[in-house]
Amino acid sequence: MTKGTIVVDHLVKTYKDKFTAVNDVSFTVGKGECFAFLGPNGAGKSTTVKVLTTLSRLTSGSVTISGIDVDEDPEKVRWEIGVVLQDTGLDSNLTARELLELQGRIFHLSGKEASFRAEELLAVVGLTEEADRTSKKFSGGMKRRLDLAMTLVHRPGILFLDEPTTGLDPLNRKSIWKEIRRLNREEGTTVFLTTQYLEEADELADQIQIISGGKIVAGGTPAELKQSIGKDVISMQFVSETEAKKAREVLNKRDVFLIENDIRVTEEKASAALPVILRELQEFGLEPAALSVAEPTLDDVFIQVTGSSEGAS
Amino acid sequence: MKAFFVHTYVLTKRSIVVLLRNPLTILPNLFISVFFLFVYTGGLSGIAQLPQFEGADYLSFILPVSIVSAAIGGAGGAGQELVRDLESGYFARLLQTPVTRLAIVLGPIIAGMLQLLVQTSLILGLAFLLGLQVEAGLGGVLVLLLFAVGWGLAFAGYSVTVALKAKNAQAAQAGTLIFFPLLFLSTTFVPLELIEAGWLRTAAVINPTTYLLEGMRSVLIDGWVWQPLVTGFLVVGAACVVTISLSVISARRAFSRE
Ligand SMILES: Nc1ncnc2c1ncn2[C@@H]1O[C@H](COP(=O)(O)OP(=O)(O)OP(=O)(O)O)[C@@H](O)[C@H]1O
Ligand SMILES: [Mg+2]
Repeated sequence: MTKGTIVVDHLVKTYKDKFTAVNDVSFTVGKGECFAFLGPNGAGKSTTVKVLTTLSRLTSGSVTISGIDVDEDPEKVRWEIGVVLQDTGLDSNLTARELLELQGRIFHLSGKEASFRAEELLAVVGLTEEADRTSKKFSGGMKRRLDLAMTLVHRPGILFLDEPTTGLDPLNRKSIWKEIRRLNREEGTTVFLTTQYLEEADELADQIQIISGGKIVAGGTPAELKQSIGKDVISMQFVSETEAKKAREVLNKRDVFLIENDIRVTEEKASAALPVILRELQEFGLEPAALSVAEPTLDDVFIQVTGSSEGAS
Repeated sequence: MKAFFVHTYVLTKRSIVVLLRNPLTILPNLFISVFFLFVYTGGLSGIAQLPQFEGADYLSFILPVSIVSAAIGGAGGAGQELVRDLESGYFARLLQTPVTRLAIVLGPIIAGMLQLLVQTSLILGLAFLLGLQVEAGLGGVLVLLLFAVGWGLAFAGYSVTVALKAKNAQAAQAGTLIFFPLLFLSTTFVPLELIEAGWLRTAAVINPTTYLLEGMRSVLIDGWVWQPLVTGFLVVGAACVVTISLSVISARRAFSRE
């Protein structure tokens, strides 16, 4: 079965002004998978989403959604997908309920079904209280939740979310995450999300592809990506600088770095190296006063592969 | 087919709801129409004594102007609504659904036509209170409404074209300014025979509004005279064909994917 899958093969998108925003991108998303497209500003994330969701035409390559070719049968693809674009698309003069009901009617629900579905979705995104206020009075977070609800009206098997939490406060962000996870885990919805936030990709995604300058520069599961950069950092604090210096002497066969009373040791696997290090130090009567181990974050991967610190949270 | 009707219905309903929630977008236009009726009949009615008016009442003479300006207001709203959708991103959201594309444009147009009918009826009601007599009787009133809707459609086609091309509110607003030369370079306040400046006379002769006004005035003042009616409807029909075709072309472009 191909339902709920996304297959992108050598996708190229060149805009009218000859600018190539997406350059030979390929990936596959399985049914029920949560896929994160990670990249800095201008990387080509939104462009990819627009092509995948029938808003924009591809220049070359192919895109298949639920087994349907996007270029050949965009109409059919629209029944399979729900899309939350980067900029919310709401008629500010309509209430949340009216917008949801209208969306339902567009997807061929009867008036009664549409109003039932609207009620259901208002509860899902926590807007029941606000249902009859016009959306122009909504906060940014409320607008996003309403936008999300509108894309769910026809129970799409694949959900596209272009930067779903950019500009939201931590609380709203958590609530969107929770909803995405629920849809993904409980309802088996395939999720394609773009984000500039590594923690978001780390939190939600089964697969991450990092795009920069229109090209995919790294990809894999969050764990694989972290492993590719690979090193853990052990920090040890000593009571005096002399002791710290002595410690450096002892550990000089390793990758050591000294700042005042602190020693940093970079290791492939901290859990394996740490006992050995502590034993070596003990032989010389040295004992760190404080100790911490840091595993690499996706931030490190991101900065390394995109060559920028932009967007790092 | 059923989808087409449902989509057109729900999107028309939406446009009407939006109109009703923003009475300020309707009122200025209604005000201008009423203004024509009251101020000019009050202030200029003396000139109807001139022989060129052939004994016509100035109220009957100015009423078509008032109706035309109401029609243009209702029709211009259609374009403005589309611009609002383009700017808010709702248009893009609609394009991502299987909505019948035509309904996106038809909804605001139909709502504009309904607004126009309500406004025209109000103005006619007012005119009757002021003592209006329609020579051609009830059929004449229907002709007036038909002219209003016809002209409204032509102008709606124009405003939709401008909206879809410009994609921003200022430009769309600027586009509706064409309304002024169209309305004033015509037999708006005096019959053609009384226009003295040669250039103004030429402008009035090539201005379609002139034939629209003549057609409406004929049923009001002279009863059933075919020549101005036929000319009027031909001109309005031609204007509709041109602007609606243009709007279809620009809609097609707006719906096509980059
Ligand atoms: N309609 C367009 N015509 C020409 N170039 C465009 C168009 N839309 C986007 N671009 C360019 O394509 C590149 C990628 O843009 P895109 O919006 O896909 O980036 P993004 O990854 O979504 O960035 P952001 O994080 O800022 O949203 C940018 O350099 C942008 O200027
Ligand atoms: Mg973007």
